[in-house]
Amino acid sequence: MTRDEIKSEIIRIFRDQFEIENPGLDDNLRDTHEFDSIDAIELLREIEIMLGSELSQAEKKNAMEIRTINDILDYIKSMSAARAMGHTLSN
Amino acid sequence: MERRVVITQGSAITPVGHSKDKIVKSLVEGISGVKKLRQDNLLSDFIHCGVFGTVDYPIAYDFKRLYRKTMGPVAYYACQVAKEVLEGSGLDNDFITSGRLGVAFGSTHGSPTVQREIYKSFFSQSRSSFSSIGAVDYLKSMVHTTAVNITKMFGITGRVISSSTACTTSSQSIGFGYEMIKYGMQDAMLCGGADEYDTTTVAVFDNLLACSTEFNDTPHLTPRPFDNQRDGLVVGEGAGALLLEEYEFAKKRGATILAEIIGFSCNNNGGDLILPNVDGITATIQLGLKDAGISADSVDFVSAHATGTKMGDVIEAQAVGRVYGDSPVVSGFKSYMGHTMGSCGAIETMITTYMMEEGFIAPTLNLENIDERCAMINHAQELVESDIRIAAIQNFAFGGVNTCLIIKKI
Repeated sequence: MTRDEIKSEIIRIFRDQFEIENPGLDDNLRDTHEFDSIDAIELLREIEIMLGSELSQAEKKNAMEIRTINDILDYIKSMSAARAMGHTLSN
Repeated sequence: MERRVVITQGSAITPVGHSKDKIVKSLVEGISGVKKLRQDNLLSDFIHCGVFGTVDYPIAYDFKRLYRKTMGPVAYYACQVAKEVLEGSGLDNDFITSGRLGVAFGSTHGSPTVQREIYKSFFSQSRSSFSSIGAVDYLKSMVHTTAVNITKMFGITGRVISSSTACTTSSQSIGFGYEMIKYGMQDAMLCGGADEYDTTTVAVFDNLLACSTEFNDTPHLTPRPFDNQRDGLVVGEGAGALLLEEYEFAKKRGATILAEIIGFSCNNNGGDLILPNVDGITATIQLGLKDAGISADSVDFVSAHATGTKMGDVIEAQAVGRVYGDSPVVSGFKSYMGHTMGSCGAIETMITTYMMEEGFIAPTLNLENIDERCAMINHAQELVESDIRIAAIQNFAFGGVNTCLIIKKI
């Protein structure tokens, strides 16, 4: 998937799943949209479905640093690239 | 330090209505909220009981997603009645969040609807764990989900008590809330209980042959507490919340006082977990009167637990007869709505305050021919005008837990 395609999918998930309409790409999701750690866990599940692959515990813990939509896009690109190269961050 | 405790607000979602007007109308006109059991594609085809005390009217929830995301159906009920109570109370946000207000709220077992979804993923044939249990499923389904979703929604920082003692859940909430205030630990308590539509509870009672099964085609004719033709209880759903305040605090701020709680007792039968126990129930009633510092002849009205089971009603009538004789008028409100489980104590307490305020006693619905083994007490068989001064609300639960609340009009 291209970055734009991933962005569209993430925007859709934010609208349908989290009732957050068109968040700014650099909005701080917690401060601006009340997106909390519970939502982050739910989002990781959506990302797993998008990747068609389970995220390791270490990869999930890394995701806890995510603050913005752009961070999410970077994270997905990186997870996707790791899988294309046939490896994941081990636990 | 012992302080006086008053009830200043109440709200309930019941099978016979949501607002006070609807509930009073149902009581006055003898309208039942028992309906046919809904198909749930899981247990309903295997249950002999075909009726349920059903909330079948729409409720307009307006909770933000921030709150909704940790709520199962039972928490929706709980938060809605809590919201109505707090909005009606006039308490300001500074007080609500001060730590002087606590919450005593529970349910029978959290949200069985959400628990089912969790179990489905356990038994799913899918090998992929990433699409199984949601991050919030535990928060939605846990036993204290009602209490803490209320604290979250309103920023309440006081004590949290979350009873989960089946049919005495919310009578314990009120009683423990009363004690919190009486002994100076909190100045106000938001108390109650809730239970959602759930056929597992029906299956439990059905297996124990405790459910009504003879009125599946005429749901409004069951349950029939104290009646010759009673054949068991009917499970129901609902929620009830009451605001308790320290008397001087309530008076000073000009709050409406619905009733004073003057006594509470809670004990255990100390043995069998299912069978009702006349000595245990008698002791509960006596302990309640002792805590209130009144004699049995001061009580005008008894709200009986009265589930409509063969033995439960007889044992309760015997205990009431032992303590009160045939003096107070006795009614059982489960006859209108079935057994709303974790919410019944709060709903029945609130109905009692409605009757105190409006000056009437609603009869036990479907009580046509009194079982002679229950006939030693003064049953309400028709609507009567009555100025209730002091009332007792009694509830009993699986596990041998008994409670008695005594309230007084002031």
